[in-house]
Amino acid sequence: MRENVLSVGIDIGTSTTQLVFSRLTIENTASIMSIPKIQIIDKEVVYRSDIHFTPLLSETKINGEAIRKIIELEYIKADIPFEKIDTGAVIITGETARKENANEILSTLSGLAGDFVVAAAGPDLESIIAGKGAGAGKLSKEKSCTVVNLDIGGGTTNIAIFKNGEVVDTACLDIGGRLIKFEDDQLKVAYASKKIKLLAKDIGVKIQIGKSLSLDEVELMCKRMADILAESLGIIPQTPLLQEMLTGTPLKLKQKIDYISFSGGVADCINSKDSTPPFKYCDIGIILGKSIGSSSWLEGSRVIQASETIGATVVGAGTHTTEISGSTITIESSILPMKNIPILRLNQEEEELVNDQLSCKIAEKLDWFRLENGQQLVALAMKGFKNPNFHQIQQLAKAIIKGFESKLEEKEPLIIVVENDMAKVLGQGILAHLIDKKDVICIDSIKVDNGDYIDIGKPLANGKVVPVIIKTLVLNY
Amino acid sequence: MISEEVIKDMVQQIVEKMVIDKKQRDVENNLPKTNVNKQSMECVNDEKLKDLTAIQIQDYFAVPDPDNKEAYLELKQNTPARVGIWRTGPRYPTNTLLRFRADHAVAMDAVFTYVSEELLEEMGLFSVSTLCRDKDEYMTRPDLGRKFSQESIETIKEKCIKSPQVQIYVSDGLSSTAIEANIKDILPSIMQGLKNYGLKVGTPFFVSHGRVPAMDVISEVLDAEVTVVLIGERPGLATGESMSCYMAYGGKVGMPESRRTVISNIHRGGTSATEAGAHIAEIVKEMIEQKASGLELKL
Repeated sequence: MRENVLSVGIDIGTSTTQLVFSRLTIENTASIMSIPKIQIIDKEVVYRSDIHFTPLLSETKINGEAIRKIIELEYIKADIPFEKIDTGAVIITGETARKENANEILSTLSGLAGDFVVAAAGPDLESIIAGKGAGAGKLSKEKSCTVVNLDIGGGTTNIAIFKNGEVVDTACLDIGGRLIKFEDDQLKVAYASKKIKLLAKDIGVKIQIGKSLSLDEVELMCKRMADILAESLGIIPQTPLLQEMLTGTPLKLKQKIDYISFSGGVADCINSKDSTPPFKYCDIGIILGKSIGSSSWLEGSRVIQASETIGATVVGAGTHTTEISGSTITIESSILPMKNIPILRLNQEEEELVNDQLSCKIAEKLDWFRLENGQQLVALAMKGFKNPNFHQIQQLAKAIIKGFESKLEEKEPLIIVVENDMAKVLGQGILAHLIDKKDVICIDSIKVDNGDYIDIGKPLANGKVVPVIIKTLVLNY
Repeated sequence: MISEEVIKDMVQQIVEKMVIDKKQRDVENNLPKTNVNKQSMECVNDEKLKDLTAIQIQDYFAVPDPDNKEAYLELKQNTPARVGIWRTGPRYPTNTLLRFRADHAVAMDAVFTYVSEELLEEMGLFSVSTLCRDKDEYMTRPDLGRKFSQESIETIKEKCIKSPQVQIYVSDGLSSTAIEANIKDILPSIMQGLKNYGLKVGTPFFVSHGRVPAMDVISEVLDAEVTVVLIGERPGLATGESMSCYMAYGGKVGMPESRRTVISNIHRGGTSATEAGAHIAEIVKEMIEQKASGLELKL
């Protein structure tokens, strides 16, 4: 009863654009006598593209046409037609996500890359995807320990901490190998990011476009960047500059870190013994890698080799973005797949309400949500009960229907996403209490939060499960 | 001749020994007596005793100074097997041993108790028995647990709707505890699901001392298209509350076992009763659509 799902991952990063195809194998792992339990049991990368430089029209604009050509070419080289793709993700990462036409590129690409491929981005998600692609998540589970992965790309460093296989913390820093670009190997500055200028000023180095830097100055800056990484991990004391280099909130650092792994393009330069000319790529990537490698703070840390370096994000996007719902769910196959469904999640306190109080709360939140988002489609998410009794389910089903009362006439289906295994009975409960017929989708074993969007794919395993992709559409840099 | 002195000595020794023996006897008599009293006192107050089975076996952890307790407990969540229970020399520690015996007692109780009349009344289920007269006969004569007296068959015929699409009944099987724990949630859940699918359900009832193949007799007697039995599973050390659901399309006495579909492991630590009920309703719908069950049913 095995089934294969073909997944694509496309990463459009600050410096490189890559694509992978991977095969996910799903199987019912429960015995014939039990309720089915369909899971992803194997993930295998079946094709890797070349590593392309991300084509830009200007410093602020991505060349969408050129990216489209790269992707089309790779599909042909891999001999995989668009319509064979079941799932996957396009992700625009690092500095590229801050380009003015990033959103536009995402939406055109998601259409191009197959029926059920989505656009995803956002620094937190990027960190998680890279960390999973680098194997840090898996290692932390196998060794029951805490692993931090630093994905150091061209524009940003994405940090994710995994404990026993679960993501516990993420952060993102404006540190990368292409924050300065040179015109030639004489170190004449062609481009410098705003943040690197800030860092340079902090250590008394002056960067001017068109003027050359000395090797000493570049090394000094890279050394400072390496130290900022250590500061963010709490290995060395923090300085005010760290705050400037963070794109969002810092790491909470609640747990002792057992291992460090490095991925991203710069990771390959950290331990590299070969004699590549340091400015081969006309940027500071190689020097940054070497600076990290020779840092004194690294000696006291346990470093492990990531299973993917420059390909961590794209492999993560191709193999770790698709989840499988619980195996007992309520769906209406004819309306699937559905894309970009925003999540409205009830919090713990709200979930404890009953009857009228709960339905009023749902109605109130729905109205507020529509005002904020300006769209009608929504999925109501909650944790749900661990071992619900029949009475609880009936109460909840009635409260949900009442909460949606004024919206029941609209064509949008009623979509409920719960964490605990109760979607089939809750869905049937809702169907039983609905007066007029309406499409109901109720899925479980999926954990989502406010601000997330989900795509629900066409059912797999004879309609028992649906693939779900959780994403953040907002490029919240 | 023995001298008077010697006799005196002997008598004195004997008397002394008798006194000592008596003392010792008194001591011995007194000791167990007070113990017995103490014990019976404690028995009276057993509400104050800790319920050893209150925590799940998955959360029971007795390893002293573990290297990584959190990771061990996470592994334990995957199995009810007795791991991380520690030892003293080659033996179990006291708590672990007591826990084992408590779980065993739960299993014994599940087999030998009866489903309460109040519950059956509350659920509106009338009750019939197989040919077994008591639990001992039920345990030793599996063949009798599949048969009904003519009188019981008449009761079933009289009280039930004839030729339903779906006939559901409940049976104690090897665990009355399982029925007590699950039936209130699973029965309405199945009924709701079947109603959504527009299927007509017959009159549910209860069979005591029932084995699984008793369902085939009921299928024939009531001429049901699909017969569903909710029956207590043989309890193990993990739980006494586990229930199974056996289903058959067009059940006949003597039909091969491969024609039965089963969903097992329904309890709060396995599949919850409400969710299982919703799933069962869908399987029944599939059976009616495909006119098949067991290995012939494609799910």
